[in-house]
Amino acid sequence: MSTPLIGVSKSILKIKELISHVANTCLNVLITGETGVGKEVVAQSLYAESVRSSKNFVKINCAALPETLLESELYGFEKGAFTGAHKKRQGKFQTADKGVLFLDEIGDMPLSLQSKMLHVLQSGEFSPLGSDQDYKTDVWVIAATNHNLEDSMAKKMFREDLFYRLNIIKIDIPPLRERKEDIPSLIEYYIRLYRSEYPENHGSKPEPDILEKLCQYTWPGNVRQLQNCIKKQMVLNSWEKILDDLPREHPDLSPQIQINGQSRESYSLENHEFANNRPSIISEFVDLSTSSEKLFEDISLKKIKKMASDRVEKEVIGFVLDKVGWNRSRAAKILKISYKTLLYKMSEFEVSPPVK
Amino acid sequence: MADPRRLLIVDDNEDILSTFYEFFNSMGYEVKTAVDGFAALKLLKDKANFFDCLITDLVMPNISGVGLISIVKKEFPHLKIIAMTGFGDQPGALASEANADVVLFKPIDLFDIEHTVSDLINPKNDNP
Repeated sequence: MSTPLIGVSKSILKIKELISHVANTCLNVLITGETGVGKEVVAQSLYAESVRSSKNFVKINCAALPETLLESELYGFEKGAFTGAHKKRQGKFQTADKGVLFLDEIGDMPLSLQSKMLHVLQSGEFSPLGSDQDYKTDVWVIAATNHNLEDSMAKKMFREDLFYRLNIIKIDIPPLRERKEDIPSLIEYYIRLYRSEYPENHGSKPEPDILEKLCQYTWPGNVRQLQNCIKKQMVLNSWEKILDDLPREHPDLSPQIQINGQSRESYSLENHEFANNRPSIISEFVDLSTSSEKLFEDISLKKIKKMASDRVEKEVIGFVLDKVGWNRSRAAKILKISYKTLLYKMSEFEVSPPVK
Repeated sequence: MADPRRLLIVDDNEDILSTFYEFFNSMGYEVKTAVDGFAALKLLKDKANFFDCLITDLVMPNISGVGLISIVKKEFPHLKIIAMTGFGDQPGALASEANADVVLFKPIDLFDIEHTVSDLINPKNDNP
């Protein structure tokens, strides 16, 4: 069963559009992105939209097997090719003929096998271990890696000629923290999926305040980590517990906003600090992974100012309300805004008292 | 006078793109530009028989120049293609394999490219 590519962010929509334009070209594709972003999902979508969808989709993980085993898995072997080769075995290149060969973790392929791979990609021919016969193969190669292959090439860990041959179409999937707007639809999708798979489980959907926290989290393990959290939720049915268990800081532990003015200097934008934090801060408000043309269209100072001030206001309001036991008129006095303004802001930012 | 010749220029370096744009414009060509292979492909699909010649860089995000050339040669065989590469002969060889009409190595003199374009789209026997 294959997972559809879920998301509403510009980068995911662009990837979907790219897939529909290139799926029938059967040109080699290189998919890059951090672990857990969904590289195999993209490969499956390419396959599903191509004319090869009725043939095999064969996957091999180049990092999971030792070199000699990887070689015999890819190319197959003749009976007696090596000790233990009791009978002839087909390689993935043969199984995937007329279909797709998905080379996962290509960046971890040993150099010696890279040259053999290059030869097959150039000639469309290979020979199984222990065989002197050449076989023709017609596979559509889709490769994926979480390595930066440009770096690997500089370190001579990855062959340049193989890189250019694979990199005919490049699909880069941004990490989840750079497309937070995809998080709600991913949660929706996986909750529905697990409910249908395990009808006896009753994990609830996140309430808006929890959803907000889930969206603010950085998800170092990307979609796969989110997916695991939802699986856990189906069993535990406690988003609070799941949020507590998330590694590293979660939003409640992120730098506390000081409102008494004493530690103001930690918030002043000193030059060096500003320079160091620049890309990370900006990426919280606009998607930096798009082309500069698109990016410049997205960067509106007015819009960003509004998003940034909304976020700080929301935190400050929540913080003060918490301190005064959700006494709204006291909070309004402390914040030096009218009671009415506070209520308006609370509803705008969806700030509500914690449910006990 | 005949219609101006139409060029599509593709490069992910916007400085190069604007230099080429200005130059070919001043030489009387009608020029459109794209910042990567995908943008170029969409322009081509939008205006199937509009362009006379495609000039493309090879190393670009999403659809590379080599990918673009392969697709274009299949879908729009009449279109002449000049590939430009600045990365040694690796992608250059792939561009020839993908049947680019001409492969040029950077740095490239603009007047030389113009000659190449003109030779490609006005075969000699057309201008006695």
